Amino acid sequence: MEQQMILRVKDLQTAYYVGKRRVNAVNGVSFELKRGETLGIVGESGCGKSATAHSILQLLPKNGRIEGGKVEYFPKEGEPVCLSECKRTGRKMREMRGGEISMIFQDPLSSLNPVYTIGDQIIEMLRAHEKISKKQAAVRAAQLLDKLGIPDAEKRLRDYPHQFSGGMKQRVMIAIAMICNPSLLIADEPTTALDVTIQAQILELMQQIQQEYGTSIMLITHNMGIVAEICDSVAVMYMGRVVEYGSLKQVFTNPKHPYTVALMQSVPVLGMGKDKRLVSIEGATPDGSTVFKGCPFADRCTKAGPHCFDHPPVETEPEPGHRVSCHLYTEGGAAE
Amino acid sequence: MLKYFAKRFLSLIPKILIISVIVFLALQLLPGDALSRSVPPRVYQQMTESQRDALRESLGLNDPLTVQYFRWLGNMFKGDFGYSQSTGSNIGEMLAARLPSTIELTVIALVIASVFGILFGFLASLKPNSWVDYTNTTMSIVGISVPEFFFGILFILLFSVKLGWLPSGGRMAAGHPGFWERIPYMILPAVCLAISLMATLSRYTRSAMLDVLGKDYVKTARSKGISETAVHLKHGFRNALSPVMVIMVMRLPMLVSGTVVIESVFNYPGMGSMILDAVSAGDMPVVMVTTMVIAVVTLVASCIVDLFTALLDPRIRFSS
Repeated sequence: MEQQMILRVKDLQTAYYVGKRRVNAVNGVSFELKRGETLGIVGESGCGKSATAHSILQLLPKNGRIEGGKVEYFPKEGEPVCLSECKRTGRKMREMRGGEISMIFQDPLSSLNPVYTIGDQIIEMLRAHEKISKKQAAVRAAQLLDKLGIPDAEKRLRDYPHQFSGGMKQRVMIAIAMICNPSLLIADEPTTALDVTIQAQILELMQQIQQEYGTSIMLITHNMGIVAEICDSVAVMYMGRVVEYGSLKQVFTNPKHPYTVALMQSVPVLGMGKDKRLVSIEGATPDGSTVFKGCPFADRCTKAGPHCFDHPPVETEPEPGHRVSCHLYTEGGAAE
Repeated sequence: MLKYFAKRFLSLIPKILIISVIVFLALQLLPGDALSRSVPPRVYQQMTESQRDALRESLGLNDPLTVQYFRWLGNMFKGDFGYSQSTGSNIGEMLAARLPSTIELTVIALVIASVFGILFGFLASLKPNSWVDYTNTTMSIVGISVPEFFFGILFILLFSVKLGWLPSGGRMAAGHPGFWERIPYMILPAVCLAISLMATLSRYTRSAMLDVLGKDYVKTARSKGISETAVHLKHGFRNALSPVMVIMVMRLPMLVSGTVVIESVFNYPGMGSMILDAVSAGDMPVVMVTTMVIAVVTLVASCIVDLFTALLDPRIRFSS
């Protein structure tokens, strides 16, 4: 039997309104996540990774709006829920947040409220979704913190965020996210603000959680190395679009899109020769409000032909499950 | 926590001492005979020069300044503040009669200003750029820019003369000295005094709330699935309150000095009108003592607000 689906995003479109200007942050993004697997979403800053994640839980800022498409969540039991049709602050949406899907953010420093103890903040999550006394909730919180590698957990519940180090704060964030045992964890660049040694610990912790609870993870990152380490499938994003999507093996051993190739060449690998140069991608990410006639990457693409500038690329499937949006793979596409 | 409170209160002592030195030195610089400030003026006039010399010696006015300072400080603690040069009455007695009424007025104004100012600012922040927000902004700008005596005169004309709802001045009706009977007399002056602080606080609460609501931890709170009300109150308002408190501390002296004008507009017998009389009569001892008292009251009040801030924010509490 095929693996159960947990999340399906179809043709999602999200825009931010800045004054009268409309910035299309997400432009028709589609992907699926299977239960118990990890999906990596990679791309440069401003490519719409976070906007996609925030759209799923409708945590967009006030000037952000889902303009089209569908986000469907498939719970363990019962009917699938169409998240994009829920009211932003409605009961159903709130039940999903934290209870079924939780999220950890980039900067653990600013993601915890400085005026409450971390115990309060973990228990708040638990009591929002379960009928449980404060005392019992504290016991559960301490157990989880202990499991997540925070020494002296019971005592530390009474400490404030500023009394923790960055890595410890991210562990606390993970504890908040995991206390209700959600089925899906969305991690929005969870290690970007941390030291490299701590990064590895946090990633390991997330893998450990996945093995123990069977949680599906959607990992947003700009680091190809991290994706290679823990993801099962990858979506490469550029300018609010998924340009390449497939299993880890497909994307890494056989990258199709020139952007994916460039992205992989720009990451240093331990043991690579000193004479080997890191490749940088020419040019800067275009402004979000730009409307493209052709392929949004054409300007910076080394393989772009005249056709690329005039016609939007169509998604093709060079091998089953491996999708790419590039003229190189369509008939009569880019001429070298 | 207790340590922080103790530290904060102890730090008041040097501040008060510094102010007292300034006030004492200013008193020394005053023209005229120092003795005239230590005995009632009528007595002073009837004395012969030799009697004055003898009294000067016995009062220690010929002693070195430092000795005089400490004696003066000691007298202040005992409640002996000297005599007014214009009316000849004991300054200590004047204070005892007037300080409570001013404190009463200021505290009520502070409560009105903080409750309504913070409430209006909070409501405006929930729907930025809505009509609630715009109304609040307009009213705040009027409140900040129009001087309080204008509101005083306007309110007297409207609520006392035209509508006859509230008395136009004074502190109490004869023979009715109870607190609740004084309330009608205090409403108009307290509201006038509160307007500008209220407007400032509402502006600051609005911007502090908007600032906090954009913070990452508010997003975390939303991602927990708690209600919007809980997000706004527990995570937004609680965090926005600290910067608002800071503004309150900074504006406190202005509230106290506002009483000078408001008390004379409403003919309210407090420190304000006492200061005004003393300044226009050139009665320096009274001016100095009242300055000292206002400085001390302001210091103590801002210390109390600081303690509230520390209660609100663990980072302040623990950094000490």
